[in-house]
Amino acid sequence: MLLTLEKVEALAPDQSSLDAARKLLKAGSWPVVASNGSGLIWGECQGSGATPYRVVVSEGDAGYKCTCPSRKFPCKHSLALMWIRVEGKRAFVDAPVPAWVSDWLGRRRGAGTGEAGDSKEEKAKASIAATTSNIAQVESDPKAEARSAALRERNRLEREESILNGLDDVDVWISDQVDRGLAGFAAQATQACRVIAQRMVDAKVSGLATRLESMPARLFSLPESARPAAALEELGLIHLMAQAYRRQEGLPAALKADVRRAIGWAMTRDALLADESATRVRGAWRVVAAISEVQPDRLRRLETWLWLEGLPEGRPDAPRFAALIDFVPVATGAASGGYSVGDRIEAELVFYPSAMPLRAQILQSLSGAQASEAPLELPEQTLDDAYKSYERALCKQPWLGAWPFSIRNARVRRHETQLFLCDGGEGSNVALPLQPSQFADASPLLALAKLDAVGLWDGYRLNLCWAQTELGRWVNA
Amino acid sequence: MNARTLRLQAYPALLVGTGRQPLGFRSDLAELAQEDATSATLNALSLTAQALRFERPQSPPHFAVEPVVQDQRTIMIDRMRRPLLRLLNNRRTTDDLALAVAWAFDRWKVRPHPFDLPKMDAFVRAHSEHLGVMAQQWAQRRDDSPDSSAQAQGFFVADEMDETTWTGGLPGMRARFIAERRRQDAAAARALVEGVWAQESADMRVRLLAALEAGLDEGDQTFLEGLSKDRAPRVRALSQRLLARLTGRRGEHPALAACLERIKRTTTGLLKKRAALALELPATVKEHEAKGWIREAFAEVSIEELAGALQLTEPQLIEATEKDANLSLALALMAMQDRRFDLLEQLAKGQLSDAWEQLSQCGSLELGMMTADERSRLVGVLIAPYSEKPLASYPAWSWLHHILEGPAPAALLEAVLRTPRWLSELLEESKVGSEWLEMLAALCPSSHRLRLRTLMGNFDAALTHTAAPLLDILDSLEKVGHHE
Repeated sequence: MLLTLEKVEALAPDQSSLDAARKLLKAGSWPVVASNGSGLIWGECQGSGATPYRVVVSEGDAGYKCTCPSRKFPCKHSLALMWIRVEGKRAFVDAPVPAWVSDWLGRRRGAGTGEAGDSKEEKAKASIAATTSNIAQVESDPKAEARSAALRERNRLEREESILNGLDDVDVWISDQVDRGLAGFAAQATQACRVIAQRMVDAKVSGLATRLESMPARLFSLPESARPAAALEELGLIHLMAQAYRRQEGLPAALKADVRRAIGWAMTRDALLADESATRVRGAWRVVAAISEVQPDRLRRLETWLWLEGLPEGRPDAPRFAALIDFVPVATGAASGGYSVGDRIEAELVFYPSAMPLRAQILQSLSGAQASEAPLELPEQTLDDAYKSYERALCKQPWLGAWPFSIRNARVRRHETQLFLCDGGEGSNVALPLQPSQFADASPLLALAKLDAVGLWDGYRLNLCWAQTELGRWVNA
Repeated sequence: MNARTLRLQAYPALLVGTGRQPLGFRSDLAELAQEDATSATLNALSLTAQALRFERPQSPPHFAVEPVVQDQRTIMIDRMRRPLLRLLNNRRTTDDLALAVAWAFDRWKVRPHPFDLPKMDAFVRAHSEHLGVMAQQWAQRRDDSPDSSAQAQGFFVADEMDETTWTGGLPGMRARFIAERRRQDAAAARALVEGVWAQESADMRVRLLAALEAGLDEGDQTFLEGLSKDRAPRVRALSQRLLARLTGRRGEHPALAACLERIKRTTTGLLKKRAALALELPATVKEHEAKGWIREAFAEVSIEELAGALQLTEPQLIEATEKDANLSLALALMAMQDRRFDLLEQLAKGQLSDAWEQLSQCGSLELGMMTADERSRLVGVLIAPYSEKPLASYPAWSWLHHILEGPAPAALLEAVLRTPRWLSELLEESKVGSEWLEMLAALCPSSHRLRLRTLMGNFDAALTHTAAPLLDILDSLEKVGHHE
């Protein structure tokens, strides 16, 4: 069983959705519940209207679709179907996949299991057919193709020019801030950043716009004494990115890709999959963190951090960590992705080109996510070693965001109301402060003399995500 | 130029503002000098930012020394941790459910997983004395205190308390320890209380004195006489009562006198004259307040004292109140407090067959010193008249749960399971159907859980969503407890 009650609970946008789903568990509400025997379930739920709602759920990655008009995702019908499946009280009839389910599978983005894979193949065929017919049409009208290409190129050039103008503006703005002094920047950061972020949106520098708009929140999450230095770092990095963008032709390809993405050029999933030079890693991945954050642009950023259980043969430099990042509108209510911390996924991942590859997409899922209680086999690495690896990464990618740490034989210690992750031995003097919000949850770790940990370091605070201890696994709730 | 130069030269100027303190491009930062001063400043900014990024976080000068807490209880099994958290953090969780879980932890000497304590913080803070030493330590820490260990008073489970450590426990535990010790060695228990008496608060002194009530003997007389000048009126009143019981002297007993003022005595019978008593409630007490008033008025009076004051034997006293429901209820309350289950049974079989319902309407009762066996006997007496059809009052069941602090006698659940129709009708009529099932699950002894589960299978999942996991959790705690 790939779905669990915990996963259903985690997927629910709020408690009322769960309560509503509970009321739909009655057998009478579901005239049809069926399965294809390989991870795909569907059903028809009798709602208030004449036509029942059609619900389909892919167990492998907790994907779902319902025909109801609810603005909550997943809706109560999807949650109820998952719940019925988990409870196992009702038998799911083995049946061939109906057309409406196949249709959904065909339109799904990302990889599923078994049947989904088959349908993907069909989808690929359909795409090839569509492409062929498009080619046929294009061939029949080369002038239209040329016009279209010219239009795209003109748009690209216009955006490049607009971005360069925007970067000049941001430099002027930073100069003004530096001229006034950064000691008091945090006090007026909210207003100042909003104005320049809006200017960056107008100049189509969306990456910097998001960074600038979220800067005040980042500054205010730090102690007051640390804010001037943090503001200096942030503004220095923004100028560095602007300069790197202006000189991108002289940069290594991976770093160039980094800076273009940081500035706002998105790389589509299709483009990533088509990029044969992109790093691909196949193996068993464990979900070590699932982070959900609301961005200033009202999008929820869902990050799923993965740890590769064993390095592929002959590839000692393959990335051990990967981050799957999705964005969903806050209005949908969805607060978590399809994976729970601890899940194990057999998959091939493709990494976005980067000097320090972290962000990835699932290229092919070889198995659905399975909840696993097995401990992580972390490599022997002290906190000192981990910090050095972070410094090396900074050298390669100066505007690095969250960086994953894996540490053996560490311990959590306390100084006043601040927790620190320290080396278990006495030799090292590195002590990474934990996020203040973790004080209560991580306090029980103070009693333990030794633990193995995975965390995300943002340069100021460690977000402790996973700890392997003698009392079992601790995960950041 | 290096990171140090940037830190020492550029950093202060960037903070203060280059308008006020220009960067020294002609001296230390000469390498950054350009024709365009703005570009040079921005480059200095970027390089300083990088220099700061490579600075390692500063370790604090010292770390706090954490209190070492050894909790001998077994940790609950991993499989039930999530269901427990889900149950306790459900916004509709009732007090009875939380108490059932807490008492089960205590009964089976099991403790929550330490990593779950923050996630069930409200539950731990409310019921820490039942959850083991680690939970007590968690409940006593203060997030806003720089040194949480300073707040800790000491953490002891009742079983591990002894003469040297008993003063460090929670008030309830300490009183129970003295009551238990009193049953084993009355003089030794009194000596322990005498040793700490001067340092205790008024509330604690009342609790300790109440704990000495069991096993009262002549050796206590001197100590009790010494309490006549205690600062707290409650202590003085209780010591007077105990002294009166001990010596048989009718000293001043204001509570008894107040009760007697309200009891009207007449004679009844033609051939054989016998006393008849009636309780006259004050005119200011409204009908719905009557039971509460009775509980308060008779709280400090024993049945023996009342019988003595009225010059009746105890059976005569019960017979004399036959026609007065309020006075019968008062006698039932006194019989409960005095552990006179024989008299209570007599009342329940006679004029007060609905004693369970009547007593539950009096509100919560302080039965802290009653042992589990005594509570079970008490409840056995109260539920006996309901063997055919259980009582359909949720507050009365909740009251019973609070009295028992654990599962009910099998006979009660047997009555429920024997009459599934009664339960179905009850759930249909009730707006709190799920709470009813929760209550049954909380009170269900292990021998009947399987049958209750089967019965619950007939009901809608929305009704059993908390009761079913509660049964699983209680089962699991019991299994872990048995294995130890």
